[in-house]
Amino acid sequence: MNVLEIRGLVKSFTLHTIDGRTVGALHGVDLDVAAGEHVALAGSSGAGKSSLLRCVYRTYVPTSGRVLLRTSSGAVVDLAALPDAQVADLRGRELGYVSQFLRAEPRRAVLDVVARAGVARGMDPDAARDAAAGALRRLGIDERLWAMHTTVLSGGQKQRVNLAAGTISPPRLLLLDEPVSALDPVNREAVLSMIADLTGAGVAVLSVFHDLDAIERLATRVVVLEGGRVAAEGAPGAVLRDSRLNLEVAR
Amino acid sequence: MSWALKVEGLGRVYGEEGPRSLTGTGPEHGTSVSPVTGAVVAAWDVGFEVEPGEALGVVGESGSGKSTVMRCVAGDERPSRGSAYLRAYDDGATDVLALDDGARRRLRVDRVAVVYQDPAAGLDLDTSAGGNIAERLTAAGARNFGRIRDRAAELLELTEVPLSRMDDPVRTFSGGMRQRVQIAKALANRPPVLLLDEPTTGLDASVAAGVLDLLRNLLERLGVAAVVVSHDFGVIEMLTRRVMVMQHGRVVETGLTDQLLEDPQHPYSQRLVAAARG
Repeated sequence: MNVLEIRGLVKSFTLHTIDGRTVGALHGVDLDVAAGEHVALAGSSGAGKSSLLRCVYRTYVPTSGRVLLRTSSGAVVDLAALPDAQVADLRGRELGYVSQFLRAEPRRAVLDVVARAGVARGMDPDAARDAAAGALRRLGIDERLWAMHTTVLSGGQKQRVNLAAGTISPPRLLLLDEPVSALDPVNREAVLSMIADLTGAGVAVLSVFHDLDAIERLATRVVVLEGGRVAAEGAPGAVLRDSRLNLEVAR
Repeated sequence: MSWALKVEGLGRVYGEEGPRSLTGTGPEHGTSVSPVTGAVVAAWDVGFEVEPGEALGVVGESGSGKSTVMRCVAGDERPSRGSAYLRAYDDGATDVLALDDGARRRLRVDRVAVVYQDPAAGLDLDTSAGGNIAERLTAAGARNFGRIRDRAAELLELTEVPLSRMDDPVRTFSGGMRQRVQIAKALANRPPVLLLDEPTTGLDASVAAGVLDLLRNLLERLGVAAVVVSHDFGVIEMLTRRVMVMQHGRVVETGLTDQLLEDPQHPYSQRLVAAARG
């Protein structure tokens, strides 16, 4: 049974502050993600990969189409049309989003950022602190940094803190936007293995990686976007072989 | 989850209140002043709900009507029309805007608290910090001197005001410290609804940051339903999860806070965000 079913998703932006023109980002995307499945979005820059993730998380307002999420209670909700307060309630426990950039909350300690994400998902505060410590340790964040404000971290450290916060209590659907782009090989390995474990535990993952090796290793299926449309879809090996050349040339 | 505060069809018109005054006002006309009657339609058809543990932001430029909405809900002003319901009053079955003045004032004791931009609006500056809080506690029926002092001390600790200053007149406090005392007083009787009107505006940047951090922590811990009026997107982003944009007295957009900042829909929201983000 699918956790996420996207049907006919269209997203366009009307730029009122410029000249009122409309710019299209997605032109009718259909896509499914099942529990325990990792679907990676591939395609060149501007193909609509991040826009798709943001439409699912409702950071972007879908212009038309449906974004159906089957929640853990079995109910099916359309994220494209759900009232704001209900979307906000689903974020965290049901719907996780880890972007390449940590929206560093000012003046908040690293451990607090991660533990708070756990508390927001209903964890007991002490349990959340323990889980946060475990996640930070696993992702190689030096304990001496835990009490420091997130603003002092490097890009790669922020990225890992972000991931620790986004996965402390695994969501039903995890959206990943370039979670390893700023990492050295050792830390990249730690993050990839954590993501693989989440999929193994039944989390539905929809991701964007620039790194084709990461896709090959983690994805159970690849969907290639081109100009806001699905251009190809299939098992990672086959799809990447066919499109690898194109993707790398496009980059 | 169910709402702690619900507002429906709120309107406030200064001047002639009839339908003639509405014509030609609002965002599409670029004004809140009626071309026919000269009345000012400060707010019209404003509605929203806030859940416990949730903060709703209200943004807009000066004159957009955001503070008018706040004052009407707080009971500082009588709206021309509309209704408001509190879960904590008659389980939400009574329109609190229709209550008489005395009953409305009593709501302010322990059901709806307000933190104003100007601490002088919420505090008696010639009374001590402890005395200001005690006044709110006695209004709710507290009589035991020792217990009142203990609770006042607890609240000052919560808002990070040094206890050594408890008996000093608020007038001798710095701006940031006065704001902390105002917050302590607002929270005195554990109100389920908290209205914050530009709570950090006018403070030095570093002082404002401290007050903002305090509010963030309190909102997370106390589970109150909050409405935050501010023209500062930094404040809105840090404190709220949903937001309502007002222009010329009308709500032009509602959305999740990150959505409003990343993908504002209304032309006015796009202009506000572009101006704030540079």
